[in-house]
Amino acid sequence: MKEKNSLLLKRQREVRNAAFIFLLPIAILMTIYVFYPIVDTFITSLYKWNGISADKTFIGLKNWQKLMTDTNFWSAFKNNIIVMILSICIQIPIGLALATYIDFVGKKATVFKVLWFIPMLMSSVAIGFLFSYALATSGGIISTISNFFGGGNIDLLGNPKTALYTVIGVIAWQFTPFYMVYTMAAFTNISTDVFEAARIDGATRSQYFWKIAFPLLKPSLKSAAILSMVGSLKYFDLIFVMTGGGPGTSTELMATYMYKYSFSKFNMGYGSTVAAGMFILISIVSLVTMRLLNGKEEA
Amino acid sequence: MDTYKKNQMKSRISWIFATILALAWTLVAILPFIFMVLNSFKEKFEMMTKGVFNLPDKFYLDNYKAVLEGNFITFFLNSVIVLLVTLVLLLFISACASYPLARFKFKLNGPIYALIVACMAIPVHITLIPVFKMTKAWGLYDSIWALLGPYVAMAIPISVFILTSFMKEIPMEIEESAAIDGCNRYQMFFKMILPLSKPGLSTLAIYNGVNIWNEFSFAYTLTQSAQNRTLPLAVWEFQGQYSMNTPMIMATLTLTVLPMIILFIFAQDKLVKGMTAGAVKG
Amino acid sequence: MKKRTKKLIALFMATMMVGSLAGCGGSGDSSSDSAAAEESGSGDSKEIVFWNIGTEEVDKAIYDKAIENFNSNTESGYTVSSVPVQNDNYKEKLVIAMSSGECPDMYISWSGGPMNEYIDSGYAQPITELFNNSELPDRLMDAAIEQAKYKDEIYAVPYMNISISGIYYNTEIFEKYNLEVPTTISELEAVCDTLVENGITPFALANGPKWTGSMYFMNLAARYGGLEPFQEAVAGTGSFEDECFIKAGETIQNWVEKGYFPEGCNSLSEDDGQARQMLYQETAAMSLAGSWYTSMMQQDSKEFAAKMGWFAFPAADDANTDASILIGTVGDNFISFNCEGEKLEAAFECATKFSEDDQIDFMIESGKIPPIKGVDEKLSDETSKTIMQAVNNASAVQLWYDQYLPPAVASVHLDTCQEIFGLTMTPEEAAKQFQQAMEEYNADKAE
Repeated sequence: MKEKNSLLLKRQREVRNAAFIFLLPIAILMTIYVFYPIVDTFITSLYKWNGISADKTFIGLKNWQKLMTDTNFWSAFKNNIIVMILSICIQIPIGLALATYIDFVGKKATVFKVLWFIPMLMSSVAIGFLFSYALATSGGIISTISNFFGGGNIDLLGNPKTALYTVIGVIAWQFTPFYMVYTMAAFTNISTDVFEAARIDGATRSQYFWKIAFPLLKPSLKSAAILSMVGSLKYFDLIFVMTGGGPGTSTELMATYMYKYSFSKFNMGYGSTVAAGMFILISIVSLVTMRLLNGKEEA
Repeated sequence: MDTYKKNQMKSRISWIFATILALAWTLVAILPFIFMVLNSFKEKFEMMTKGVFNLPDKFYLDNYKAVLEGNFITFFLNSVIVLLVTLVLLLFISACASYPLARFKFKLNGPIYALIVACMAIPVHITLIPVFKMTKAWGLYDSIWALLGPYVAMAIPISVFILTSFMKEIPMEIEESAAIDGCNRYQMFFKMILPLSKPGLSTLAIYNGVNIWNEFSFAYTLTQSAQNRTLPLAVWEFQGQYSMNTPMIMATLTLTVLPMIILFIFAQDKLVKGMTAGAVKG
Repeated sequence: MKKRTKKLIALFMATMMVGSLAGCGGSGDSSSDSAAAEESGSGDSKEIVFWNIGTEEVDKAIYDKAIENFNSNTESGYTVSSVPVQNDNYKEKLVIAMSSGECPDMYISWSGGPMNEYIDSGYAQPITELFNNSELPDRLMDAAIEQAKYKDEIYAVPYMNISISGIYYNTEIFEKYNLEVPTTISELEAVCDTLVENGITPFALANGPKWTGSMYFMNLAARYGGLEPFQEAVAGTGSFEDECFIKAGETIQNWVEKGYFPEGCNSLSEDDGQARQMLYQETAAMSLAGSWYTSMMQQDSKEFAAKMGWFAFPAADDANTDASILIGTVGDNFISFNCEGEKLEAAFECATKFSEDDQIDFMIESGKIPPIKGVDEKLSDETSKTIMQAVNNASAVQLWYDQYLPPAVASVHLDTCQEIFGLTMTPEEAAKQFQQAMEEYNADKAE
């Protein structure tokens, strides 16, 4: 009995040591580059500071009080939630469909795979430029098509009601390829034997997909949903390039809002508060979702 | 027999439908790319008068000549070095961290994983100032090596997250049989887990590779002289205070994206390897 | 336990080694350069680091010429090294550097609100004495020097370009429809009506970046009420809810409804050239733009640039305001200094190179109008001459609101002004928000 116990203890200690060593490099890096900036942000959020001057004034939780009642921040958060929901609903299903098609077609689909990946590779500068011309009211592609069918000019980016959805479309266009590649990698985990066996049993492709492949892909799709969620909640790039948060504040996101305060309005204190608030919100949303998604397995 | 035929018809129709959709998506996916390339062959005034979505009058190569005669090659080499070193460090460190998180049973496992997920939530812009301060203090400012730390660190949370979920999918028996053969955990990691995680690692290499290749904020925060800049800053030479020279920018961006496409053509092969290897066995 | 410590140390050493290796590589690779960079700010380095926005030609050549001139002729023993950063990223990079207490020895700004912020934070030295003992007071235009002042001290050296907003128009289109250059707003509206009837958009406007539309607002407000309402509103004695601001907003909305602006102008991008495209395609006849358009159009096409004429914003019909007032900036870029003693003298010497005769000739050739006394005699370009005439006749030049105002207030102005163009906000609502932002700022400042 005693021997067994000590063996168990020894084993536990061994696991702990190994884990420690495997995790050490990441711990060092994260401390320097992630934890420190986060702590720094939280500290700055307690000050009134223009971001450049040597003197800061400690104002306690004043910035946080302002954040709580700042309608612009909460409307930005709401926009982030819209981006999040639509991104998950658009990017992952299309990505899955593309990957499934490639998986079914096999080697011959390599051309598709490469072509479909291209949006992911383009820089925001090029995307912003091309889409702003394509979406222009006069002479843009969308308006030209609409005119062809007898509709009038359509101003998608200039209309506060449609601007956000338009940018979400462009974001989806850019990021869908990532979820395609991600799901493709998940498909490789399903052994070919499973597929062969299903075929021999006379299952059609759609039966194979829904009854066999999909359940096996589920864990990966859950992770994909979390990735998409976090990515959407801290999204910045194309909004900044294409609309700058406008028209009005209709496409303002938390990250662009924070950026404006920190770097153009000379209010680093409040900018840091926005960043810290954003960090708290994203962490909560993603951890809660992860719990909900994985709840059954872990329980 | 009848139902079989019906099924076959049905599947053929859905195949045709799927292929049409696939072709339509292809068009949507590559049209912007095609216009980027087409505009890179135009003269500036031509692009502005005749429109962005017209074919170029003739394939005007001077844009490319001008880009290549500038600092492009220097930026390109810097980007390649940064990309390679970052990816190697990143993949190795992430794999090391994911292994215990995915496959060990110990108390802190859950909290550490949650912490890393929370770290995915950090907005890049809040790290700029602290990282700038540290870089200055370490004397690394204005060198491409200053970029390695932040690039690796910023990509770690998402990489560990993806890799951990991948490693969880590797069957437990593999490890158990290896344990019986007398492998310790370190051997197991290098001999079994790492090779089996290849599809996950390739996905990460592709995803992070693209991000690092296009990364902008740290690149201009941490460098200042021309010989230490990376590719995303190459477009600066064609952006003024009030306007930009779009065809030149398009030429620069086309040249920037080409290596990534070539790299992807090679890397995507890794993503089906598991599949075909299984087929051979079967 | 011992084993674990050993392992730990080994691992730690390994990480450190990777780190230090990277460090070595860094210093080996760029020793000459980073050594210079490290000294940016203060210290006794003989290198002066100059951050600017001259990334693109022709500006790059202008900077290089002046700096080269200094480096090869100076007797101060200092050399200036130029660090060009793209305009949009420049402002962020400057904030990041300053927030860490680092600031280049010389850097450019646009004067107004941000420059005052840099000065208040201690990143710019007053140069009044140096300035007055140099040739610059004789060379530079008084209006330009005025813009470089803050609290009665001179803090910067103006240079580069006189950037005044005015209306560029296509002379061929005007001829075709027998249109005359308008001198009053109602004449301007008549011109616009004719153009609209003939299917031509009167004004090419890409209001995505917001400051482009703000030009219409500023000019209208100045014509309706002169400059006092603005000055008083800023000082806190007046209000942005003054009649002239409301009326400016109303006129804009009236013009939007009458189709004077391109449909969906709020989502068009100025940087991408969507406004100039309309001018070049001749689907639009005019554009209210900064005088940098002259050199920009010349670079795009000399032939087209020759077709374009220029007139100042027309006078209001019934208001008794001074119609010679212009909106814009005399200088556009201003060099500030963050160094002391000998180094400051050397840096200042370098800044004077931007207004030497050779340099001025080169800048004029490139389509710029440097803020130099007697620059009109040197100009050969017709458009530039007309602009210069307007500047000489102007009783005052009001700096762009978005540059003059503190950034937090400026951004509210830009946002609300864009909404006026989008008809999503009434001029009264916009004025109210604008005023509120100004009051908040003043209250905050007083605290």
